[in-house]
Amino acid sequence: MEHKASPLNKKFWTPGVLVMLVFMIAGAIAIIARFTGGIGYVTNLSNARPWGLWVGVDVATGVALAAGGFTTAALAHIFGRHYYEPVTRPALLTAALGYTFVVIGLLIDIGRSWAIWKPMFYWNTNSVLFEVAVCVAIYLNVLYFEFLPIVAEQFKGRVNLPGIMAVFNPLIEMILKIGDAILDKTMWIFIILGVVLSCMHQSSLGSLMLVAPTKLHPLWYTPILPLLFLTSAFAVGYPMVVFETTIITSSLKLDSEMNILAPLTRITIFLLGIYMFLKFGDMFVRGTYIYLLDGTYQTNSFIIEMLLGIMVPWIMLLFEKVRNSRKGVFTAASLIIGGVVINRINVFIVGYKSPLSDNGYFPAPGEIFVTLGLIATLMFIYRIIVTYLPVLQAPKEVSP
Amino acid sequence: MQFSRRNFFKFMGVAGASVAALPSSARAWKSKAPPDSYGCLVDLTRCVGCRKCEEACSEVNKLPAPERADCQCTIFDRKRRPDDKAYTVVNRYFTGKLDQFDNPLPTYAKVQCMHCQDPSCVSACLAGALTKDETGAVKYDVSRCIGCRYCMVACPFEIPAYEYHNPITPKVMKCTFCYDRISEQGGLPGCATICPTEALTFGKRKTILKVAQKRLKENPGKYIDYVYGEKEVGGTSWLYISSVPFEKVNLPALPNKPLPKLSETIQHSLFSYLWSPLALFGVLGAVMYKSNKVQEEPQNKGGA
Amino acid sequence: MKIKMVRKIIFLAGLVILATALCMAEVWKAPDQEKAREKAKKIVPFIKEYKDDCKINRKICLMDAGISIKDVKDVYFLLDSPIIKKREDHYEPVRFAHKRHAALIQDCSMCHHYRPKDENALETTRCSACHQDSFNPDHPERIGIKAAYHQQCVKCHTAEAKGPVDCKGCHLQKVPDHKDLVKLPDNADPFQVTAECLRCHDTQGEDMLKTAHWLWKGPSPYTTGHRKDIMHGKGTTALNNY
Repeated sequence: MEHKASPLNKKFWTPGVLVMLVFMIAGAIAIIARFTGGIGYVTNLSNARPWGLWVGVDVATGVALAAGGFTTAALAHIFGRHYYEPVTRPALLTAALGYTFVVIGLLIDIGRSWAIWKPMFYWNTNSVLFEVAVCVAIYLNVLYFEFLPIVAEQFKGRVNLPGIMAVFNPLIEMILKIGDAILDKTMWIFIILGVVLSCMHQSSLGSLMLVAPTKLHPLWYTPILPLLFLTSAFAVGYPMVVFETTIITSSLKLDSEMNILAPLTRITIFLLGIYMFLKFGDMFVRGTYIYLLDGTYQTNSFIIEMLLGIMVPWIMLLFEKVRNSRKGVFTAASLIIGGVVINRINVFIVGYKSPLSDNGYFPAPGEIFVTLGLIATLMFIYRIIVTYLPVLQAPKEVSP
Repeated sequence: MQFSRRNFFKFMGVAGASVAALPSSARAWKSKAPPDSYGCLVDLTRCVGCRKCEEACSEVNKLPAPERADCQCTIFDRKRRPDDKAYTVVNRYFTGKLDQFDNPLPTYAKVQCMHCQDPSCVSACLAGALTKDETGAVKYDVSRCIGCRYCMVACPFEIPAYEYHNPITPKVMKCTFCYDRISEQGGLPGCATICPTEALTFGKRKTILKVAQKRLKENPGKYIDYVYGEKEVGGTSWLYISSVPFEKVNLPALPNKPLPKLSETIQHSLFSYLWSPLALFGVLGAVMYKSNKVQEEPQNKGGA
Repeated sequence: MKIKMVRKIIFLAGLVILATALCMAEVWKAPDQEKAREKAKKIVPFIKEYKDDCKINRKICLMDAGISIKDVKDVYFLLDSPIIKKREDHYEPVRFAHKRHAALIQDCSMCHHYRPKDENALETTRCSACHQDSFNPDHPERIGIKAAYHQQCVKCHTAEAKGPVDCKGCHLQKVPDHKDLVKLPDNADPFQVTAECLRCHDTQGEDMLKTAHWLWKGPSPYTTGHRKDIMHGKGTTALNNY
């Protein structure tokens, strides 16, 4: 383990951060409106359209894009490719934050937020959503445990709370020390558990729609929907790492880490290839290609998903020139991520249609504000954490 | 990170034992329909559109009085759906039928929860807030509900409605089949009690299915020879017979297979006794152990 | 002339006496209405089995038996039964002119569509002998008495395009006893009375304010003291006490 992560030593209040702040405030106002006027007050949801932007993007897409956490952990820790360890920490942070915000998004979307603990006591093992909920709940804690050593690394031996809080210093110090020692011995359990739980709920998120065959467009409704969700999560994991690493390294002017990202994209060719194969195979086996030219917005959205989100980036990555260029890799990764985002939106929003009384759905401004606000808050907290905790690889030599 | 060999084998042993204890094949999916449940037959040829069922329903279930309860004309201009203020509504459809004076003949159709034999909503609800009762009623227990609205996504008839304007304690609202009334001896649902023309026939599902089939047989040409709800999504407690095609009165064409079958089969074949997660855990553990051993050895030699 | 005058006086006096007599006899009841009410109250033994006959056959049978309008004993009765009231009680019973319907239709088999299987039974029997409570599990196909009435009446009225088919065309709505509903102090003033009415009937009150009864304006040639007013009425100067 040659790499060394360290806190950032950069100015915090940049214009980007201020823009985030604006979105956060807008989101906060929308959230206040939701908890005073009700879901119906801020959203365009109806009895025919019970799930909208919040489930489609905040939850489903959030879970998919947090796949970077378990895929890199599997690669670096389980399959022993320690070469990739520098990207595991940022990916882990993205996953931990991503899942935290998935849960916050859920809390806003469900009608009785205060009752979210109930499924832990009232089980319905027939329910796909029950499995998803349990897995997400456990996995969120697993992620926190996986992240704890990073906190310990920074503060162990240095806990120094201000003022009256100082009495707790020794206690927290002790907790950190013991926790770190225990976690060091047991971390392998959490790492494997994290991968297992991810495989379970990433796939089950696709099974959610299997109960409603008459409501999901046949282009997406397939018995292998859980498998497609799982393989797409595998496929989007590394592109997500590429995407965020590139953005962070360029916006914070750090080293580009291309030496790690380029080989990651080679694995992606394989993973995305599997997903693409399944997706096309499913389309031909079920004969759903007959819909492709009917010109509805659903079909068009499917074509965009397949073409721009899967085929184009896959072909791009086949070229070594693309794989070795920072811009090329970034573009391909962005397309793959875009493809998975569109896929989740398609499954939960675009492809969903209640046959009896649906009048179409477009998210209300309130819904959009909440979603944007949550994303901005996520980025903001990410920014705080990389500023104060050793997440990103220490710059070898900061270029002025 | 330290990778303790002893811990690993301990854990793997437990995991392996639980996997081995599994039955080799997952059990086949079985319908959970109650054996002797109640049902209700809606005969659309008998409905006169008086909307008394709406009135009785809101009275029995303590809902606000139906919108313009006495109106039997303009209220039908708009197609209504059951919502959080009405468990049942009657709609009027002109399907092209004419009476002897060439006036278009209306067909009235009541909509409410169908109380499926194997309900999607019951399978979907993660906390078991929805249950299928012995009476056949699909019951909703608000004390378990978290408001995820997955039941609404799952329902093929688009029945559960939501109190979208209640910010903290919204409920899912849908027809209860008046289960506290029908579970009493001789009890009837509110709507069936009041229906003046007996367009609603209440009884044991088996009995009313026979009644429906008899009615179709004894009146050839009057009805479409089909009992809607006998087989749809594995059967529903509410059955419809009609003289006009069912799609024309907004009763959707649905597969005969119970909708929860696919997802429940997948869930149970993968996750019964958690065999697949445990197996995956074992495999990944083995891979991790092996790959780390391979890499540790040269390090140890180096005297690290 | 004189005789005519005397006749007129006698006639008027007779009228006055009759009217007084009517007023004096506080609870005079129409005998046929009472009879109908008694008849409707009775629950007759349920006829389990009926002779399954086709419609034309049935008509011929009735003609063969020589049954005609002359045989109609109950000229008038009420379509009502305690069996209905057991379930719900929203409307007053329908008053049914039996003989009139028989005379108009001239076909008894329209309503007397089947007969009991028992050969000794009468050819025609009352509706509520076969049709009783709804959803009888022993006879699931047999409709109840309420449905039998409604299906028969509505079907025929629609087909013949004669007679009412809406609820209130046949029924009076059951008005709840206002004795228990109205809560007024003794010696209530008109404003209190009006307010008490409006407590429940506020929509009717609102509607009233939009009618000519309330808004009417115009000349009032027959109103004492206002003969010359050209704009008099509830909409302007006349007293509105509610």
